[in-house]
Amino acid sequence: MTTAVPTRTSAPLGRLAAAEVRWVLRRPRTLVLLALLGLIPVALGIGIALTGGPGAGEDGDGPGLVAAVAGNGLVLPIAALGLALALLLPLTVATASADALAGEASHGTLRGLLLAPVGRGRLVVMKAAGVLAVAVLAVVVVAVVGVITGMVVVGGPSGTLITLSGTTLGLGEALGRVALVAGWTIGQLLAVAAVALAISSFTEHPLVVLAAVLGGLIVFGVLAAIPSLEWLQPLLLTTGWGAGTDALRDPLPLDGLASSSLRALVYLVLGVAVTVVRMRRRDG
Amino acid sequence: MTAATSRPSTSQAPAPPDATVAARVRGLRKTFGSTVAIDDVDLDVPAGAVLGMLGPNGSGKTTLIRMLLGLTRPTAGTVELLGHGGDDLAAALPDVGALVEGPGFHPFLSGRDNLLRCAATEPRLDGDLRGPVDAALERVGLADAARRRYRGYSLGMKQRLGLAAALLVPRRLVVLDEPTNGLDPAGTRDVRRVVADLRDAGATVLLSSHLLAEVEAVCTHVAVLQTGTLLVSGELRALLDADTGGLVVSTPDVDDAILALREAGAPSYRADGGVAVPPGSLEAPEIVAALVGAGVAVWEVHRRRAHLEELFARLTEEDA
Repeated sequence: MTTAVPTRTSAPLGRLAAAEVRWVLRRPRTLVLLALLGLIPVALGIGIALTGGPGAGEDGDGPGLVAAVAGNGLVLPIAALGLALALLLPLTVATASADALAGEASHGTLRGLLLAPVGRGRLVVMKAAGVLAVAVLAVVVVAVVGVITGMVVVGGPSGTLITLSGTTLGLGEALGRVALVAGWTIGQLLAVAAVALAISSFTEHPLVVLAAVLGGLIVFGVLAAIPSLEWLQPLLLTTGWGAGTDALRDPLPLDGLASSSLRALVYLVLGVAVTVVRMRRRDG
Repeated sequence: MTAATSRPSTSQAPAPPDATVAARVRGLRKTFGSTVAIDDVDLDVPAGAVLGMLGPNGSGKTTLIRMLLGLTRPTAGTVELLGHGGDDLAAALPDVGALVEGPGFHPFLSGRDNLLRCAATEPRLDGDLRGPVDAALERVGLADAARRRYRGYSLGMKQRLGLAAALLVPRRLVVLDEPTNGLDPAGTRDVRRVVADLRDAGATVLLSSHLLAEVEAVCTHVAVLQTGTLLVSGELRALLDADTGGLVVSTPDVDDAILALREAGAPSYRADGGVAVPPGSLEAPEIVAALVGAGVAVWEVHRRRAHLEELFARLTEEDA
């Protein structure tokens, strides 16, 4: 039953976060993006099953990640995560971040949250919970659908994974590698999401956030391609985005995954800090 | 919050909390660039009052309300809400219900789901949130449309949902910015009823409007804003009485009455249904005595009630 709580000046944080996650997951665009993400490994798997087969067995370190999937189904989730990280996953978390603050402001609902009052610090926590849920769910969808598609459609040497180095991993270790790449991908996405949230806290136009994030990723790509700007590369978030492939090597090289995760952490901290500072002063 | 972070405008000692005042602003000023939106406004909203804030479009009503609720930072001056001020202003907000700048909801959710989301953020609610949500929907007459998507709501239904959000919790102060916007006559009546209920329950209501008849019908106090300045504020009845338009005598013998009053020393003129006597000459008993003495039939003598419309027109035109 409902009881009045005369002394409390803010709703419990758990209830706020739960309400936020429920709201995010009921939004049609979130569901559409998650469905699209689920299609990536399926399309990849079907494509490889149709065209791959016997001819794709050219071994060695050379062929691309996608080629390595042929007849080696457990590589599929890792390849799919790599593909999705190029565009669709950042788009998904940027959309969530854009709706979290800019979208609420444009609907006039940010005012309601400030007047409740949620509390300006708690508002950032609540919004971060929603974005985090989207990032985790998006990666989990790609990984899980990827594993299932890989085992069912592509198949492979009886639940094992052949690494790029030519060794064979058992099912348990293979799934561990998939989980490692999934976790690493979530970390990279959270960096994107934090920067997007910071932009979101300055505008009431969600499209500005999307344009800034996707435009930023493209600019990063261009900068990385200019040889004379090579010194910039350690600063660019996208520099380490190929490191997911490392999980397919044996023994596992951790330096690429670690350095890109560290870089993501820096972006994450900066993004959250800017968001918190900005939201303390933002007009509702 | 430490003392070191408090801003200069809050360092001047605020007046001690006053239980008879629900909201108080002192020296409030807000500028946007070179535009002065609110200029040095002092205003008290007495506890238990229904205060109507009047003013033409762009007079600063909404800006004043936004500063009162902490949505906009004042350029200068202080705000006190239910005894809380400065950096502590938000502590008053759980007891404040507000509908500011139109209703804000998510189009893909139903009205009820939107309210459930609002309820989850209300500090004063605990346990099952559906009870208060359904009660609020019932109260604003939206129970039948509660499960339809907000996207399909009419303007009036959206307004009603905004009102429901303000009424989710028993409030000490309810702030309604243009509450009857887009409402049909039945909706306007509903808002009047809700305001009357709130007043009867002891809540203070601050409502802004440009509909004078609406304010006159429900308010006990008024404040009139023009171009960011407070022209007048106070009890509605006192303001109208001070602005009274003299006496009206109902009589079938208009010409005789005018003649008799002129002789008695009271200038008068023909008016709707009789003779009007402007204030400042004779009092009612003297006028009746003069008319009866002259053999003029008198049906009725009453004080002409000033209407808010006239008061408002006089105030805003005087200043313009």
